[in-house]
Amino acid sequence: MAKNNKSKGSGAYIFAGILIAIIYIINTFLVESIYWGNQEVSQKTGQANSALNKINSELTAINMDSISIAAGIIPPEDIGITMGDTNKRYGNIIAAEHQFEAIEDLSPTVVKRYNYAKSLITAFKDKLDSLGTKNVKEGNEEMMSDILKQEIYPLQTTASEMLISTIDVVNVETAKMNAANTKRAFALMTVMMIVAILGEIAVWLFARRAKKIRAELEEREKNLAEVDAKLKATRQKASDLAVINVLTGMKNRYALDSDVSDRLETGRFNIAVFDMDNFRSINDTYGYDFGDEYLAAVAEKLKEEFGDVAEIYNITGNEFCFLFNSSVTESQAMGIAQNIQRVMSSPYEVLNLAVQLPCSGAVYHYLPGDCLNVNSLLVKLDTALRTVKMNGGNMINTVMNM
Amino acid sequence: MNKKNRRGVFRAIAACTLSAAMLLSGGCGSKGAQRGPGGPNAQQGGTIFVITKQSLSFWDDVKKGAEDAGEEFGYDIVFREGTNDNDYSSQEAAIYDAVKKKAKAIVIAPNGKTELNKAFEEAEKNGIKIININSRADYEGVASFIRCSDYESGSVAARNAINLLQVKDPELATLKNIAIIPSTAATSEERVAGFIDSFTSQAADAIAPIDMTETNEKKVQDARSAKIDAYKKGVIQGAACSSESAAKDAAMKILQSNRDSISVMFGTNTNTTLGICEAIEELELEKDITVIGFNSDEKELAYIKTHVLDGTVIQNPYMMGYVGVRYAKRAINGDSVPSRMDTGAVFVDAENINDDFIQLMIYPDGKPDAAEKTDGGEG
Repeated sequence: MAKNNKSKGSGAYIFAGILIAIIYIINTFLVESIYWGNQEVSQKTGQANSALNKINSELTAINMDSISIAAGIIPPEDIGITMGDTNKRYGNIIAAEHQFEAIEDLSPTVVKRYNYAKSLITAFKDKLDSLGTKNVKEGNEEMMSDILKQEIYPLQTTASEMLISTIDVVNVETAKMNAANTKRAFALMTVMMIVAILGEIAVWLFARRAKKIRAELEEREKNLAEVDAKLKATRQKASDLAVINVLTGMKNRYALDSDVSDRLETGRFNIAVFDMDNFRSINDTYGYDFGDEYLAAVAEKLKEEFGDVAEIYNITGNEFCFLFNSSVTESQAMGIAQNIQRVMSSPYEVLNLAVQLPCSGAVYHYLPGDCLNVNSLLVKLDTALRTVKMNGGNMINTVMNM
Repeated sequence: MNKKNRRGVFRAIAACTLSAAMLLSGGCGSKGAQRGPGGPNAQQGGTIFVITKQSLSFWDDVKKGAEDAGEEFGYDIVFREGTNDNDYSSQEAAIYDAVKKKAKAIVIAPNGKTELNKAFEEAEKNGIKIININSRADYEGVASFIRCSDYESGSVAARNAINLLQVKDPELATLKNIAIIPSTAATSEERVAGFIDSFTSQAADAIAPIDMTETNEKKVQDARSAKIDAYKKGVIQGAACSSESAAKDAAMKILQSNRDSISVMFGTNTNTTLGICEAIEELELEKDITVIGFNSDEKELAYIKTHVLDGTVIQNPYMMGYVGVRYAKRAINGDSVPSRMDTGAVFVDAENINDDFIQLMIYPDGKPDAAEKTDGGEG
């Protein structure tokens, strides 16, 4: 029962452990997902910024070449080479545009800003192409200078501004996404923490309640055990009372019956009974209480002296029966019987009065099958005892085997 | 509370603390990963005042650009405008309002070169960054000047006018006079100067053919300069007009007396361009006179499609507003900004009007289905 209660109580702690483990696992997955989400965002941002920076740098290089041509820094014979470079650079711009456009899930704001930049780049390239094919070759420097100053250069600078703005917008949005991710993660983790704390509180309350119930059950068990013990003691007492003489604390006649019955048929043992001679005179002279005290004193002395060699029974008021141990021989039994007579006949001080009564006894060297029952055994012993008493008492008789 | 209860409470607190510690320890690993690349807007936020000249479609596009930049970079944009392009007092009040409202920056197209300097000083004293757009303010504290040069825009108009004339007459042998209807706006003067200078320069050979009989080069150049100066002086300029009807009247007046001696007519803004177009259409001179205008009003675009208007120069007001706010943000964050920037001008004609880039310039927010830009250009 107690074991069962303990297992109920430990259930709460197991539940608490599982709850914490689940929350920890979910939390780990959550953190992992946030980490990889942010990694993905950072990767996209890196790709986008790399493409945009490449476009911008190539655009600036093309513009520098154009200005160099217009300013006469590049000699006419090298213009063809420079224009070849421009075409290569524009090819790089196209490649970078494809790289940027391949990035998925870009926000409408980023796409809008990029498209604006792209339109300016296209216009820049168209204008540059028209300048290259028409004016550069014809050497119309004034016209070329005007177009560069009034149209191409502003197109490049504004396209560059739009590209840098696109980078800025990408970064702003990345920061926003990361901030939103962080916010969401902390919100989720806070919820998880609250759930965990509430769970722990619930577990604690449950455990507390379980503990209280267990304590109550233990208390009940304890009470029941006490009642049980009391009952057992009462039973024992009742049982003892059935086989023990209350006055002398010795086993009674029923106990003798129980102890000897099984031995009558096959057993061989020595048994004796002793009785105070004229014990009634004590009761008549000093009263029954005195008589009882006297008997108790005698019984105590007998137990003290002969408890080791015989089981002593107080079978009637002042009649004691000695069932000698199996190790005691017939001759020894007789010797002990004489000692018993001496002890019983000794003076006893009861209520400050020294009282001495003679006693008589009968010893029976029992042989297997002598008696059918304990009653006939005792009749034999009592007959032998009465014979002694009729002859004046203070003697020991022997039951003759028939 | 007895000892037993205290122990129970202690256990509960210990268990909760352990759980919280586990959760927090799990979360700690993500902190570094959650950090973004930092971004350019670490110090973003605040208000930027955008103060324009007056209520016209040109300035609507400036506002659109400013709004987009504000949204993208996390700034609140407050718009203010003058009642006309001479109204600096409204702009002055707007600057003081920006100071009062603790704006971080002002993006302004001033209605005066020096009239706003006192207000600028007050703004600068309060840590407000000043970005100048469109027309120059003579104030030292301006962090950046973003504009499209009106002189260069006039030059773009002239260069493309010559290109169009050369389609029919490559040598410009039949080149006649040019007529200009200026507007009352402050931008008009530079546009006219840029147009005339560039036109006469690029058509110099037609205006003043080289005298092959003269061997003295200086004499040749002087003679050419004299002819070009004479041509410049002969340019027909109508009175400055502030409305479409006035421009039409001025154009009609010029055309009625000089229709056979004019090759090109140039309008310096939307109203004057439309006035010229109406006159040309009414007099059925579309094929005889090349008309060059300014801005991209829907009516002007319609005239391009019907070939009454041969071409128009458009600036990029959206870019002006966008870059204005972008530079304001950079100045606020302590980053360097270019002291000047030219957003450029583009010539639009029937050939390129449908190009993506031109469409984007005309309609920064995409082409509207029904609504049209009808309230004139920047003046």
